[in-house]
Amino acid sequence: MSMYNYVFRRVGFMAVTLFFVTLIAFAVTNILPGDVALLILGPNATEQSLEALQTQLGLNRPLYVQYIDWVVGLLQGNMGESLRFGEPVSQLIAERLPRSMMLAVAATLVAVVLSVPLGVYAAVNQNEAPDVSASMFAFVGISMPIFLWGLVFILVFAVWLNLFPTGGYVSPSEDLVGSLTRLVLPAGAMGFALTAYIMRMTRSSMLEVLSEEYINLARAKGMSQRVIVLRHALKNAIIPVITVIAFQFSYAFGGVVVLEEVFFWPGIGRLTLTAIQSRDIPLIQGCILVVALIYMFSNFAADLLYAYFDPRIRYGGDD
Amino acid sequence: MSAPTTATDREADDGPLLDVRGLRTEFRTDAGPIVASNEVSFSLDRGETMGLVGESGAGKSVTARSLMRLIDSPGEITGGQVVFNGEDLLQKTEAEMRDIRGNRIAMIPQDPMSSLNPVMTVGEQITETIRRHQDVSKSEARQLAIESMDDVGIPDAEERIDDYPHEFSGGMRQRVLVAIGFSCEPDLIIADEPTTALDVTTQAKILDLLNEMQEREGTAVLMITHNLGVVAQTCDHVGVMYAGNLVETAELGDLFDRPRHPYTRALIDSIPEVDTDYDELPTLDGAMPDLGNLPSGCNFAPRCPHATEACRTGGDPSLDSVGDDSSRAACLHAADLDLSESTVPESGAGRRDVDRSGEPLFEVRNLKKYFNAGEGVFGNVHLSWEGGGLPTVERRHVKAVDDVSFDVYPGETVGLVGESGCGKSTVARTALRLLDPTDGEVYFEGQPLHELGTSEIRSLRREMQMIFQDPQSSLNPRKTVGQIVGRAMEKHGIATGEEKRERVGDLLERVGLSRAAASKYPHEFSGGQQQRVAIAHALAVEPKLIVCDEPVSALDVSVQAQILNLLNEIQEDENISFLFISHNIGVIRHICDRVAVMYLGKIAEFGSIEQVFSPPFHPYTESLLSAVPHANPDRETDRILLEGSVPSPINPPSGCPFQTRCPKKIGDVCEQELPELESVGGADHYISCHLSEEEMSQRDSFITPSKRAETSPADSD
Ligand SMILES: Nc1ncnc2c1ncn2[C@@H]1O[C@H](COP(=O)(O)OP(=O)(O)O)[C@@H](O)[C@H]1O
Ligand code: SF4
Ligand code: SF4
Ligand SMILES: [Mg+2]
Repeated sequence: MSMYNYVFRRVGFMAVTLFFVTLIAFAVTNILPGDVALLILGPNATEQSLEALQTQLGLNRPLYVQYIDWVVGLLQGNMGESLRFGEPVSQLIAERLPRSMMLAVAATLVAVVLSVPLGVYAAVNQNEAPDVSASMFAFVGISMPIFLWGLVFILVFAVWLNLFPTGGYVSPSEDLVGSLTRLVLPAGAMGFALTAYIMRMTRSSMLEVLSEEYINLARAKGMSQRVIVLRHALKNAIIPVITVIAFQFSYAFGGVVVLEEVFFWPGIGRLTLTAIQSRDIPLIQGCILVVALIYMFSNFAADLLYAYFDPRIRYGGDD
Repeated sequence: MSAPTTATDREADDGPLLDVRGLRTEFRTDAGPIVASNEVSFSLDRGETMGLVGESGAGKSVTARSLMRLIDSPGEITGGQVVFNGEDLLQKTEAEMRDIRGNRIAMIPQDPMSSLNPVMTVGEQITETIRRHQDVSKSEARQLAIESMDDVGIPDAEERIDDYPHEFSGGMRQRVLVAIGFSCEPDLIIADEPTTALDVTTQAKILDLLNEMQEREGTAVLMITHNLGVVAQTCDHVGVMYAGNLVETAELGDLFDRPRHPYTRALIDSIPEVDTDYDELPTLDGAMPDLGNLPSGCNFAPRCPHATEACRTGGDPSLDSVGDDSSRAACLHAADLDLSESTVPESGAGRRDVDRSGEPLFEVRNLKKYFNAGEGVFGNVHLSWEGGGLPTVERRHVKAVDDVSFDVYPGETVGLVGESGCGKSTVARTALRLLDPTDGEVYFEGQPLHELGTSEIRSLRREMQMIFQDPQSSLNPRKTVGQIVGRAMEKHGIATGEEKRERVGDLLERVGLSRAAASKYPHEFSGGQQQRVAIAHALAVEPKLIVCDEPVSALDVSVQAQILNLLNEIQEDENISFLFISHNIGVIRHICDRVAVMYLGKIAEFGSIEQVFSPPFHPYTESLLSAVPHANPDRETDRILLEGSVPSPINPPSGCPFQTRCPKKIGDVCEQELPELESVGGADHYISCHLSEEEMSQRDSFITPSKRAETSPADSD
C-alpha cells in the first residue's frame, strides 16, 4: 500500500514542479531581448507587415493569454511551430531526443560500470595503494571539462590510434555497427568525466556502511569478507549512490549540449543552440520543457529505485 | 562450512569453557599506543554467566571483541591466551575463527536499531548464520529460523520471518538479535550491553528471555553492562574493569556484600536506588584517567578515598585473591579495608517541602501536539484503500501529546517519566513553544505563552532554559566555553565586559569547573563536564525554570550522580524549578518532588513521589516500577511483564490508551471509555483508570523507607 502512497506523493510534487517549469520557460523566452517579428522579417520590414505578423503569431495579445494558449496547446500535444525550421516543434524534438538519450544513457552506463566497482574496491582497501590509485584515476576525470575530454578522446583514439571515427551520427536501425562505433568516443569521454562523482560517492557510502553495527555483527556471525562486502554492505551503500547516478544522468544531458558540438552529434543539444541563436521562441520553449522533463523523470526514477532498494520506504515506516 | 558438532563430543571435560590468560590488546594512536585490555585474566565455566562492568572506556567491549578476534586496525591483540574448549583461539587462522564466530561463540550486540541490516529481512539474517555453520538446505534453515524466532517469543514467527527490521519494535529487534545469537546453539554468548538501549519494561523482558534461553541451552554468557542492577539480576560472578584492567572479580553475592576494591564500592554506591532516600548521592569524583596517560601508581589512586602514599608509586597493583571468599582484587589495601558498608551519606529529614500555596510558576492545560505523519508537504496525505473501490485521500496525524495538564511550582522539580516515544520531550518542547502547540494553554507566571508572539516569547526565553541529553549538540564547537556562557548573559542584558567575565568565572566554579575552563572549547571536556557547561549556560541568564531532557542518560553512573547532586544543590540555592524528563525511574525518584507518568501521549498518573511510588497505582505505573532492576542480588521483586509493545500513536487504541497491554483490564469499559485523570483519595494524586482505588492498591509501596545499608538478605522476602 505504502508504495502507492509514495508514488502518489511524488506525482503530486511533479505536477507542481512542472507547472513552475512552464511558467519559467514561458517567462524566460518572453523576457529575451529582440522582437520576434523583426527577427523573422529582417531589418527592412515595414511597420504594417511587422504588425500583421505579430497579429498572425498572436504576439500582441496579453502575456497571460499567450501563456494559457501555449499551455492548452501543450496539453493537446501541440508545442507550436518552429520559426526557423517551419516544422512542428514536437516533430523536431522527437527526431533529435532519442539520439541525445542514446548518448546520455551510454555515458551513464560507462560511468556506472567504471565507478561502482572502483568505489567498492577503494573503500575495502581504504587508504591503501588501490584506494589511492582509484581515487587518482577518478580525479583525472573531473580535472577537465567534458568537451576537453571529448577533444582529447578524438585526438588519442581517432586521430592517433585511428580506432574510431572522429564524430558524426548514424542511426542504429540503418547501421548498427557504424552507429555503435560512433557512440564509443562521446559516451566514453563523458562517462569518464562522470566517473569521479559516482566513484567517490560509492566509496564514501561504502565506508560509512562498513563501519555500521550490522557489519560488525555480520563478522561476529562468521560471514566471509566477500559476503560482507557484497551482500551486507553494497546493498545498503548503493542506495544513496543511485541518486547520484540519476543526477549524473541529468548532468550528462547538460554535457550533451556541448559534447554534441564537438562530435557533430545532431541531438537535442545542438537543436537548442540553434534555437537560441535564431531566437526561435517556440523551439526554445519546447527544448527547455523537454530537458526539464528529463531532469524530473530521471530524479523520479531515482526515487523509485531508491524506494525499491530501501525497504524502509518500500513498505512505509509507519504501518 | 563446519559441520555442527554435538555438545558431547565438544566437551573437554576438564577445565573451564573459557580461560583467558593475560590478554592484552593495544591500539596505536597518534598519541602513542594505549592498552585497552591489560593483562586481563578470568575464566568461565559452561552454563555460567559472568558480568563485566565498569565505566565507559574501561575496556569491556575491547576485551569481549578480543575473545572473538574481532579487533580492527589500529588495534592489535599483543599478548596472552584465549583458551576456549581447550584450544587457544589466538593461534587459530582467520578461516578457523570464522567457523567459530556465530557458531561456538556468538555475539548479542547493544543497539537493536543499528545492529540489523536494514535491507535484509530478519529471516535472511537468521538463516544466513544457520547456513553458514550448519549443513542444511535452504528450507530446513528457514524452518530452524522460524523455530528460533518462536523460541525467543516473537509472535507469528512464520509470517514475520520475511519482514524487514524496521517493521519490528526495538524490543522485538533485540529478540531477533537473541535468536541470531542462539541460532547455532553456541557454547558461549557474549552480550555487549544487550539491554542498554531499551526501556525498563523491555529490558526486563529481554533479561528474562536471556536467562531462560541460557538455562535451556546450557550456554555460558559473558554479560557486559554498566548497569549493576542488570548484573545483580543475571550473573553468577562478576569482573569489574577500570582503565583497561580487571580490578576485581568475585562471585555475585560476595561482590555486593563485601566489595574488595574501592572502585567497586563507589560504583555500587552511585546508583540512585528506588527504595532509598538520599539527600545527596555518594559520588565518585573525577573521571577515569586517559588510557594514554595513566598515573604511575594505582590507576584508581586519583579518585580513591583510601589511597595512601604507597598507592601512588610502584605501578598498578596486580589482581590477587583476597580474604576467604571468591574475591580477587587489584588493590594494595584490599585485605585491610572493610568496604561491606555502603558510604551513602545519612539520609536527612527527607525531601524539602515545596510551597504550593501560591500560584504555580508554570502551568500546562490540555496541551495537544499532533504531527503530520510522514515528511514534507504531501507527507501526511495518505491513500486509504479500505472499503474497496477508489482509494480515498486522508490526512493522518501522530498524536504525540494528547491532552496533557500539569503544573510546576517555584522551587519544585516535576518529572516526566515513561517509555521512549511516549511524548515526554514533545511535551517539554511544545510547552516552551519551541514547537507550536496544536491546542491547549500554557502559562508562565500567569502569562499565556500560547497567545504570545515570537518576540515576546523570545524575551521570556531568558526565564525558561533547557538542558539536553547530548550537551554537545547545544554547545557551539567553535566558541570557547567563556564565549558561550558570556554570550547568553550579553544577549539578555545581564552583564557585559569585566563584570561578565567575573560572573562567567563564578558560574563555572559554581558548576564544579575551574575558572580556567572559560578559555577552552567544548570538545576539550568529557561528557559530564560538557553537561556542567550546559548547566552553567542555562544558569547564566538567571532563569526561573529549567527543562532538563534526559540530562544524565548518556552519562556513566558515577558522573550521573555528580550531575544530579549539582542540580539539587542549585535548586536549593536559587529556588529554580525543574521540569525533569527521564526514563530512569531511580533518577526520577531521587530528584523529583512530583512526577507525571506518561503513556502514549497522555498522563496516566500524576502525584508526589510518595504517592506515585506507593499504592494506589495506575496499572502502567505499577508494571513500570516493578521492572526496575535493583542493584541488590538479594532483592526479588515480582515483576509485571507487559505483553506486546506500545501501539502506534497514529492509530491509538480506543478507550484507555493502555488497554491493549493492561494486565488488569476490566473489559468493555476499558475498550470504550477513556478514563479521566481523577483525583484518588481526595489528595493531589491523579490516576487515569477505571479501576477502583482498592483494585489499584494490591501491591506494597516501592519506596518503603529503608536505608540501603540496612537492607540485608534477612529482611527481603
Ligand atoms: N578503534 C579504536 N581506536 C583507538 N582506540 C580505541 C578503539 N576502540 C577502542 N579504543 C579505546 O579502547 C578503550 C576501551 O574501549 P571500550 O572497550 O569500548 O570500553 P567499554 O566497552 O568499557 O566502554 C577506550 O579508551 C577507547 O578509546
Ligand atoms: S591500591 Fe590504593 S589507590 Fe588503588 S584502589 Fe587500593 S587503596 Fe585505592
Ligand atoms: S482503564 Fe482499564 S485498561 Fe486502562 S489502565 Fe485502567 S484497568 Fe487498565
Ligand atoms: Mg562498550
